[in-house]
Amino acid sequence: MAEAPVLDRNILREGLILARAPDPAVMVIFGASGDLAARKLMPALYNLALNRYLPSGFSVVGVANTPWSDQEFRTQMLDAVQKYSRTQPVDRSVWQSFAEGLHYIPMMFEDKDGYQRLSDRLTQLDRERGTSGNRVFYFATLPDFFPVIVEQLGASGIAHAGEGWKRVIIEKPFGHDLKSAQALNRAVHAVFSEPQVYRIDHYLGKETVQNVMVFRFANGIFEPIWNRRYVDHVQITVAEDIGIERRGAYYEHAGALRDIFQNHLLQLLSIVAMEAPANFDAETVRDEKVKVLRSIHLVNVDTDVIRGQYGAGWVAGQQVAAYRQELKVAPTSMTETYVAMRLKIDNWRWADTPFYLRTGKRLPSRASEIAIQFKNAPHQPFAKTAVQGMNPNVLVMRIQPHEGASLKIAAKIPGPVMRLRTVNMDFFYGSSFLVESPDAYERLVLDCMLGDPTLFAREDEVERAWGLTDSIEAFWSTQPPPEFPNYAAGSWGPEAADALLERDGRRWRRP
Amino acid sequence: MTDNHEALATRTIVDVHSIEQELEEVRWKLRPEGQMDEAAEHAAAEARASVLNLITVVTDEKELAGVAAVLDRLSTTNPSRTLILLAQEDRADDKLEARVSAQTRTESGHRVTTEEVLIHAHGQVAKHMASLVTPLLIPDLPVMVWSPARPDFDSRLFNDLCELADRIVVDTDAGFERDDFPRLLEVARRDRARASIGDFNWARLIGWRHVAAQFFDMPGMLPRLAQMSGVAVSHGLDRSTAQARLLGGWVQSRLARVGIDVPVELRPDDNHDYEVSRLLLYTGGPEGPARFGIAREAGGRLSTEIRVGDQELGGRTVRLEPRPPEELLAIELTLPGHDVLYEEALAAAVR
Repeated sequence: MAEAPVLDRNILREGLILARAPDPAVMVIFGASGDLAARKLMPALYNLALNRYLPSGFSVVGVANTPWSDQEFRTQMLDAVQKYSRTQPVDRSVWQSFAEGLHYIPMMFEDKDGYQRLSDRLTQLDRERGTSGNRVFYFATLPDFFPVIVEQLGASGIAHAGEGWKRVIIEKPFGHDLKSAQALNRAVHAVFSEPQVYRIDHYLGKETVQNVMVFRFANGIFEPIWNRRYVDHVQITVAEDIGIERRGAYYEHAGALRDIFQNHLLQLLSIVAMEAPANFDAETVRDEKVKVLRSIHLVNVDTDVIRGQYGAGWVAGQQVAAYRQELKVAPTSMTETYVAMRLKIDNWRWADTPFYLRTGKRLPSRASEIAIQFKNAPHQPFAKTAVQGMNPNVLVMRIQPHEGASLKIAAKIPGPVMRLRTVNMDFFYGSSFLVESPDAYERLVLDCMLGDPTLFAREDEVERAWGLTDSIEAFWSTQPPPEFPNYAAGSWGPEAADALLERDGRRWRRP
Repeated sequence: MTDNHEALATRTIVDVHSIEQELEEVRWKLRPEGQMDEAAEHAAAEARASVLNLITVVTDEKELAGVAAVLDRLSTTNPSRTLILLAQEDRADDKLEARVSAQTRTESGHRVTTEEVLIHAHGQVAKHMASLVTPLLIPDLPVMVWSPARPDFDSRLFNDLCELADRIVVDTDAGFERDDFPRLLEVARRDRARASIGDFNWARLIGWRHVAAQFFDMPGMLPRLAQMSGVAVSHGLDRSTAQARLLGGWVQSRLARVGIDVPVELRPDDNHDYEVSRLLLYTGGPEGPARFGIAREAGGRLSTEIRVGDQELGGRTVRLEPRPPEELLAIELTLPGHDVLYEEALAAAVR
């Protein structure tokens, strides 16, 4: 009988959507009884299982101090999936099959004995479910616990035990300033090397954020005009109509600057301003993003950064309380719920092109978008009356709620006289693609299991972003307390934010 | 018609220039007298997405009704220009009729506008309908020809459309016999063939292929793939064996790529009406022979089983979405170019 050939790849996988399958692995979720696990992680894992993306043998060990048994954990997670999964109803047979791999260990995160029990359970799962020592450690706890969990994973030997890969996913916020981020990086690197670390910012898992890169780099017509010669300015908005919900304790220490600017806004800015990467490898893409962060120039914090805090007002027909009246918020709180700023990027592509960024809570609507406003045509051959009311071209990439793009262009109004009007060419992803978008967590968890960190933040990205944030905080700390609240809930932010653009002869878009 | 389904115009026209004219009008919501009100003016300036030209060929009114229902559901998500050709070459009198309509759907939360031209021809005209189609296509967009029933491979219309099309979509579960496979393959492999072949049956097998591939992603299982000794595909009895042949052909053709010849056995299964009901892959290996099984379960699921030597390894259950025709068609819209894997599976299926 002829000897069987040696295969270096799974030839049955050719032509399937995933060219590579994740290896069987155990995901250890620290903070498994918390909100994130229930609302995001477990629904994401269930949907991955439902759609056949998870490998055979995939298992989860939930770790938290809530005294649950394996069975109670499964029941709780089923409730969560029934409540939060994007696909409903939950398929009982698929859930049953998936839930066989769900396990739970009640323990305090500092408890050494607990890590021994965890280690024993992981070894048992490797034996029973063929997970071969592959691990994803997901830190879904309060950030205060990150260092102790890392330390215990190292001390117990779990982080390096046996064969197989080990990866760690760390939720934002990664530190609360540059110093703490560096300290956390040191603590993590004492146990895990940088390629093992996946710092998650779920914004990067959103389809439309990835589409910004596709839009820029897969189409030949935009990149030649994507520079200071043709672009007048860029506006990036992450607006929320909600308040702080039940996150008062966290938000009091974070504020809009740390909560949104340091991560979501700077990530969007990097993607919109970066040079074309030579390829889509994680390091190449992240190198280009970091170059943008290194080129950011805050001209004058005093005049170019505006902060605000919402007072009482009306949002979507509902009367809402002021920030200072929210649960677990100090009645004299000086925490900002709104930030707007003007940045410059000192490189050949963007020199002297202002980037205006803003984010806020209790704004009139929920909208995240990037707007590229182009310069006016250098010469208008039409009569003044014909072009009255005309606006420059604007390309808007909408991230939420209606993912898509629109281009504002001039068009002639049909008729015997030359009259022009601005019209929007709108493109909604939803109207061209039937495919249901996965949740950002599904994409990111799968990427981590496949060992692809492209959509995760690298150490230097995080630290550079904190450096920028710190410089603003440092300036604020030298200033007298601001007069908060300075914008009404349901408005588009403080008047000073409008003045920031008016000084430059521009105005904020209404998203 | 539903509340969110807005038919813009419907008229019967008889020549291609009239059809073009009517298309322009329904596309931009013109009033019959050619005057625009303010809303129409706005609509004229409003851009919208179109992703393809879709041509479908039917031979009788009954088939037309079924196709129209599928296209109606497809129109909620895929903005396109659709040409339905009701071609009745066998009817004696020459006849040409066309009806143009446009509709906007908003079920998906977006405005999706589709234009539809129904062309009904008898006799000689029916043979030459492709000449009517060309001027009615939206330029620069792909042309997809969907043949809901087994196409008449010898007809002039089918062959003319093959010349026009970027993709031809068939359903080998709809009346295809084994002898039709080489003819389908011949279309895909014609000299200078631009049209690739899409097959609903192939899309129905995505889940099976995915799960079968995952067996050999498991630690230590890859060497067993190279030691595959047999494949058995069970199938229901009510329809053709095309799906079972394709699945077997897929395994066979993949392994043939690396020089492994594996026999495929088709097994009729009394317990199922149609489609593949079970796939078994037999391999050798150092711990003895192994059997990897996938079975169709009630409620749109697949369950797996693995037996290595005397040991049963844990199986699992995953979803196998039963997809309606409009969803299968929508999948086809997203697939570019020639699917070499499909063509090789088809070739293996006729061996």
